Amino acid sequence: MAEHINLLLVDDENDFRQILAKRLTRRGMYVREADRGEKALQMMEEQPVDIVILDIKMPGLDGIECLQRIKANHDMTEVIMLTGHADVHGGVTGIKSGAFDYLTKPVELEHLIRKIKQAHHKIQRILAEKEEAAFKERIQQQMVVAERLVALGTMASGVAHEINNPLAVIQDSAGWLHQILEKPEMQNMPRIDDFKKGLNRINTAVKRAGKITQQLLQAVKTQTTEMVDPSTFVEVSLKKLTDEAITLVEPEASLKNIGITLESCEPHPIAWTDPLQLLQVLLNLLSNAIQATDAGGRVTMILAASLEEAKIIVKDTGCGISKENISRIFEPFFTTKEADQGTGMGLYVSWGIITGLGGLISVESEIDKGTTFTITLPVKK
Amino acid sequence: MYKTSSYIMLVDDEKDFVEMLGLRLKENGENVIAAYNGKECLDTLEKKQIDVIILDVKMPGMDGIETLQKIKAQHPLIEVILLTGHGTIQSAVEGMKLGAFDFLLKPADFQELTKKLNKARERKKEQMERIQKAEAAMLLRQSKL
Ligand SMILES: Nc1ncnc2c1ncn2[C@@H]1O[C@H](COP(=O)(O)OP(=O)(O)OP(=O)(O)O)[C@@H](O)[C@H]1O
Ligand SMILES: [Mg+2]
Repeated sequence: MAEHINLLLVDDENDFRQILAKRLTRRGMYVREADRGEKALQMMEEQPVDIVILDIKMPGLDGIECLQRIKANHDMTEVIMLTGHADVHGGVTGIKSGAFDYLTKPVELEHLIRKIKQAHHKIQRILAEKEEAAFKERIQQQMVVAERLVALGTMASGVAHEINNPLAVIQDSAGWLHQILEKPEMQNMPRIDDFKKGLNRINTAVKRAGKITQQLLQAVKTQTTEMVDPSTFVEVSLKKLTDEAITLVEPEASLKNIGITLESCEPHPIAWTDPLQLLQVLLNLLSNAIQATDAGGRVTMILAASLEEAKIIVKDTGCGISKENISRIFEPFFTTKEADQGTGMGLYVSWGIITGLGGLISVESEIDKGTTFTITLPVKK
Repeated sequence: MYKTSSYIMLVDDEKDFVEMLGLRLKENGENVIAAYNGKECLDTLEKKQIDVIILDVKMPGMDGIETLQKIKAQHPLIEVILLTGHGTIQSAVEGMKLGAFDFLLKPADFQELTKKLNKARERKKEQMERIQKAEAAMLLRQSKL
């Protein structure tokens, strides 16, 4: 048998149990044995099993009680009951308490094996259903996030547009005064340096505000799919692009003594995409990873590809992201950094770009262990 | 200064913006004329010799692109620099195809604006010289005939 099934055989009749165990082992199953219900429960705590074959009539904890405790603590484990010759009643009680089925002793081996396989199928089916439900839930979540981000983006870009004009006026007013202060006839003006200082501050602040509106408008622009310009799509070697991104952040990383490594599958994956925009996303993810990681840590980039999609993974050994924060990190302006360290636009912009490129971006994180961002891109359009 | 012989027109519906940018350019010795919408811009062009136009894309009524088309149809030698917001970069591309000299994202860096302005003026001058030469050559040929 290809798949290994973990069995626990519970029966107080030693001869019967040992012979059965031997036969089942010969048929490729992993078999452990217990001669009492209490012992069986203890063994299951230590190492889980797929299927328990359980005698109903045992001294101490009897089969039915044992069954109930197994079902209470191990909901993925199936139990096949063994009943005495004329004990139909026991078998029925067993099924009512959640047993998969019952067999009467003496047990016919082929019959038992068939039952074991059926029980195993049931377990696998339930596992598959659970996985599917989890997958649907994930997609659902991603859609909710996407909707919220789009709404936020629409509002934010409206604000950004309106703010751009007054910003330009402020910038030029300050610039004009500065130009005047540079004139030869102004050089003897009292406190000229204070004036220049004030104007410089206005100028830096306006530049910062301008950068934010710029990023916002760009993010909103790239994520609205109709604006994606496929003429900028080319075949991109992800290895080359990643190398380039790493080179660009290397100085920042080496300041903190953080090593960046790249692992790529062979042949190197190729994506059909916009290299400049993708590069910007990689830079955002890398600089986040470096900022989140303590000196001496490590950042790993992994490239993988299948027939339909290419994956770029950025993994760090940094501080991780808390449960409360992880659902918000893609929002515009969400940041945990000091005001002059981050504006909270990096991931929002990245999300917009990847969505616009027809891909997906997702995150997994564990506090104090590290964070992994995964980008999935279509290989060909 | 050679600059003083050239004229620049600023076109934007935002009065404060036109005024401040105008003041900065004047401080640099430029001759600046303001217009607050596309129609005013075109009307002024009938009366005044303009070398370079700095034109906002987003204006109520006749927008920057339409204005640009009319300018280029009636005064093909005038160079136009477009000012766009980031959301309207698409129209900047369209504008370039329609013959704009260049474009700048708002809020534009003044240094950059000055650089592009000088380049635009330079090209206008070269074009004019070429035309004058061609005209001179034509006159010469005609007189020989
Ligand atoms: N690799 C990471 N490890 C831990 N936290 C992260 C990581 N990447 C992002 N974050 C969290 O998500 C937040 C948002 O990230 P984002 O890149 O959008 O903005 P930022 O880095 O704070 O600022 P900006 O990128 O605009 O300079 C960060 O402030 C940080 O709390
Ligand atoms: Mg960031």
